[in-house]
Amino acid sequence: MTAISDRRQMAYIANQAADARVNLELEAEGMTLNIGPQHPATHGTLRIVVRLDGEQVIEADPVMGYMHRGYEKLAEVRTYPQVTTLVNRIDWLGSFANEVPFILACERLMEVEAPPRAQWIRTIFHELGRIANVTLFLGDLGVQLGAITPVFLAFRDREYILNQIEAATGGRFHPNFDRIGGLKDDLPAGWIAETKVALDKIREFCNTLEDLLMGNEIFQSRTRGVGVIPADVGLAYGLTGANIRASGVDWDLRRDNPVGLPYDQVDWKVWTHPDGDSFARCWLRMQEVRESCNIVEQLLDTIPGGPIMAKVPRVIKVPEGEAYVATENPLGMMSYYVVSQGGLEPFRVKIRSASFSNMSIAPWLLKGVYMPDVITILASLYFILGDIDR
Amino acid sequence: MPQVPGMLKGLGVTFGTMVNTIKNGSNTVQYPHVKEDPAPRARGVIALHEENCTSCMLCARECPDWCIYIEGHKTLAPPRRAGGKPRSVNKLDRFDIDYSLCMYCGICVEVCPFEALFWTPEYEYSEEKIADLLHDKSRLGKWMETVPDFESYESGAEVKGKKVPR
Repeated sequence: MTAISDRRQMAYIANQAADARVNLELEAEGMTLNIGPQHPATHGTLRIVVRLDGEQVIEADPVMGYMHRGYEKLAEVRTYPQVTTLVNRIDWLGSFANEVPFILACERLMEVEAPPRAQWIRTIFHELGRIANVTLFLGDLGVQLGAITPVFLAFRDREYILNQIEAATGGRFHPNFDRIGGLKDDLPAGWIAETKVALDKIREFCNTLEDLLMGNEIFQSRTRGVGVIPADVGLAYGLTGANIRASGVDWDLRRDNPVGLPYDQVDWKVWTHPDGDSFARCWLRMQEVRESCNIVEQLLDTIPGGPIMAKVPRVIKVPEGEAYVATENPLGMMSYYVVSQGGLEPFRVKIRSASFSNMSIAPWLLKGVYMPDVITILASLYFILGDIDR
Repeated sequence: MPQVPGMLKGLGVTFGTMVNTIKNGSNTVQYPHVKEDPAPRARGVIALHEENCTSCMLCARECPDWCIYIEGHKTLAPPRRAGGKPRSVNKLDRFDIDYSLCMYCGICVEVCPFEALFWTPEYEYSEEKIADLLHDKSRLGKWMETVPDFESYESGAEVKGKKVPR
């Protein structure tokens, strides 16, 4: 064969392939619909391309990255104390929980341990962040189903927790309170008593919401049996946190891997639900808020005295090495892989955020469901866009 | 006893909340007329106590997005004791914080070794033009009046209390 005929043949094949592609697009059934990037059902900018056959979803494809802020790269040009300012903004509803694994990884590299009082207060804020985060979810799920009232109650009662966080740390959303070797400051006088009052308000909120939303027939028929995730599929997609516990997997890093956080000093239990549907995920989160209230209350009672800062140098230089720490965040497993080359800045910070993996199940989960259920399922998966895109 | 339908129960909650709101007043604050009272530790705006600043540039260097601009020069101050040599001190020419960039992390306040920077819970300093958010040292100095005293600590704390220079 000559070179010319070779080229001709290649052109012929390319033409055929292009025709086939056009035909495929013309013949494919259904209609393509974009949900988002700006949609009230998403906490940020998430776009989901769904292909519809009537009301039924044939194919769903989440498009992420509209809110990519490049924290992993930004962290490489900032010193260790400055990084906590950035990682605060990953999951903005439970900010303090983002700082904890990073600080623990740095502490492991520097071989320092925070004093017990600092560990206790860290755990308290870790749980307060979870309460503030999940409280908003509980109210928000109602909005996705058309119930407006729960979200007002959620915003009202979350404010009590945020006020407590502000009173101690100075920031409502971005505490930036955790330091390598301890905490920035101690608690102000009277804080423990006020927090207990706030916790009672949250417990009351849970009871109210149970009457208002959970028992509602419409809510139940819209969520029960919708978006069922079997345990093995959930594990295969890397689901963590309340989403996998709602599928009946008894897996909680707070109990299984309490690194530097005194969860083993507290009497509490890990809730699971066998169903794995939207209702199970919502119910489970509600139980976790109640359990978190118990954890915080016990920690407040047993808080030890003493310093809040271990001995660390004024200019923080982390010795060469690698550390990986994972903790149970409000949304699931969050972990940091910190590589240090001994300088003032981390050489590499890999952030594993929970929502990204939780979101990855969406194409599988949304196949075959009806269009109104898409919103319910996405809301019950509970992702935060800052946590997906980082 | 037949079970109360969940929907009626929910309506009961809503009604109860309404009655509560009528009786005890609402939870919202009518902002421009009634002002919120943030916690004393709230990070609203940074105040500068100019006499304490030695223009050491620590805050400007540690700021995560480098929004503090400092310029200074050395001058001779009169000696402390009679007959001594004149001291060389750093005089602050410019101290600007660009609040359009500030992330309100508080690292500058924390690293200041001479206690020249303080947080105040004031929050009303919005501007129509973004360039006006650059506060110079006289404007930052004026915030000093609003700095609250440091609170005392919860029992069991071993942190030394600090004082605000007035």
